[in-house]
Amino acid sequence: MKKLLIIAGIISTAITVTSCGGVRRDPGRAYMPDMSYSRAYETYASTQALKDANINYNAKPVDGTIARGDMFPYTLKNDSTGYAQSATVTNPLDTATIDKTEAERLYLINCGICHGTKLDGNGPLWKGGDGPFPAAPRNFVGDAVMLKMPEGTMFHSVTYGKNTMGSYASQLSTKQRWMVISYIKAKQAKVAPAAPAADTTAKAKP
Amino acid sequence: MTKCASCHQVMKDATGPALMNLEERGKWADHNEILKWATNPAAYMAKDPYTQGLKAKYGSMMSSQELTLKDVDAIVSYINQVVADSKKPAAATEGEAQPTANNAIIFGVISLILAVVALILMQVNSNLKKMSDDAEGIYRPDPVPFYKNKIYIAMVALVFFAMAGYFFSKAAIGFGRQKDYQPVQPIFYSHKVHAGINQVNCLYCHGGAWDSKHASIPSVNVCMNCHKAINEYKKGPKLYTEDGDLVDGTAEIAKLYAAAGFDPQKPNSWDAAKAKPIEWVKIHNLPDHVYFNHSQHIRAGKVQCQTCHGEITAMDEVKQVSELSMGWCVNCHRQTNVDFNYDSTGGNKFYSIYEKFHNDFKNGKMDSIKVKDIGGLECQKCHY
Repeated sequence: MKKLLIIAGIISTAITVTSCGGVRRDPGRAYMPDMSYSRAYETYASTQALKDANINYNAKPVDGTIARGDMFPYTLKNDSTGYAQSATVTNPLDTATIDKTEAERLYLINCGICHGTKLDGNGPLWKGGDGPFPAAPRNFVGDAVMLKMPEGTMFHSVTYGKNTMGSYASQLSTKQRWMVISYIKAKQAKVAPAAPAADTTAKAKP
Repeated sequence: MTKCASCHQVMKDATGPALMNLEERGKWADHNEILKWATNPAAYMAKDPYTQGLKAKYGSMMSSQELTLKDVDAIVSYINQVVADSKKPAAATEGEAQPTANNAIIFGVISLILAVVALILMQVNSNLKKMSDDAEGIYRPDPVPFYKNKIYIAMVALVFFAMAGYFFSKAAIGFGRQKDYQPVQPIFYSHKVHAGINQVNCLYCHGGAWDSKHASIPSVNVCMNCHKAINEYKKGPKLYTEDGDLVDGTAEIAKLYAAAGFDPQKPNSWDAAKAKPIEWVKIHNLPDHVYFNHSQHIRAGKVQCQTCHGEITAMDEVKQVSELSMGWCVNCHRQTNVDFNYDSTGGNKFYSIYEKFHNDFKNGKMDSIKVKDIGGLECQKCHY
């Protein structure tokens, strides 16, 4: 009898010990919920309560709103006319005073993933065709089309997206987009003389 | 390859139509016709109803390519090669199910067996002793049963109180803390695949961390920047949930498309304005009475994301690695050096107002300036 009790005790202890662990799927409780969870509306909180109370809430800024410190917005429309007109748009920023390290940082975060840190169209998502991205990104420094593409057209494509590329207007402000364009143009200016040679090699292998 | 691959794929439609079985589509069997079309699409389209139909379907026209007849021959043979390769039976790549031996159970069973053996040995020992005593004729009183032995009872009570106290205080401290919290998300989004294998920068999606208090959850259009084109998961490793279930990556991408209102068959008719937000579960929660600012830490303080969030690039399902308790915050503020720009050639100008520290630093009175020296331990910095 006493042995049975001991064995039962040991088994139950073992079960208790092993059952702790595993994946924690619940966040637990808080001491003072009204101090831990905001009563005010926080970022990403549901606005359903406002809707239920018949209060009009729209998270989108009013058309034509300009963020503090940002530039005048880009006005051309996202259609073929706008695309053709964009060739005449020039960079409103003074390229000499642009913070080059910041422009490079923006390029590496937002563009380098596809177009490559060397701007050669071979970022980690393409990796010469081994990456998950199904379409080859444009090569900024080895492709004659990209070398002679006007900066306004580039800006238009970054703003609205082009082919498989999406719009970057939500991630980069107008000013940041122009900074990235000027970074690409500066890099292209360095390799421009070597461009024709690179083009013929590209043609040789289909 | 470099010329066509921007818009065309062999096996499926992309910006332009798929190129497989190109030669079976009417007059494309004649490579001279392909050459005429590819080198001057605008002129060719004017008198060809088939290519006019293509423009209507894909919404854009091919730009003219500098090609020769030889190039066209090579491209077509390359396409046929790819198609032929894809028809070969794929080698069996089904991996075996992941062995998930639960070590804890094994250890538990082993210790149980050892405990029973020890008990039996103790019983044998006392029996043997009794027998030897009997044989030598030594009289001993019957031993007190162990559950009546006062020393034993006292020891058990002591152990019981110590353990109860330990677990009680541990539970009380853990109240309101969420270390190791790893909720199930609406879409199995693997940070390992995105940030680890494919090297997407943290700030690509969580750009708010650089500019604002919040690291910000990307909206659906940021996902769609890449997933407009990447509509299947096949090149990465097999994915498993923390519970050991196999995940179908392509099905998870389909969940994103459902939220975005995106039809992979008609990529050009997608309207980003109709997307619905995905309700991700927030993992790292600070109580409302604590202020924390991401940009202050990563931009001014130059703290890496991984310092607090752990090896995100190795996590399929993200889990809270740090305690996010006050002791944890304060400890880091005590130990972390501030990157003082005392020689004014670079670095962070934000700290230039701490003139005394700059002077002490120069004169060698202080060898390092910690966050606590510039007010990192003041209550009102975080609680106000």
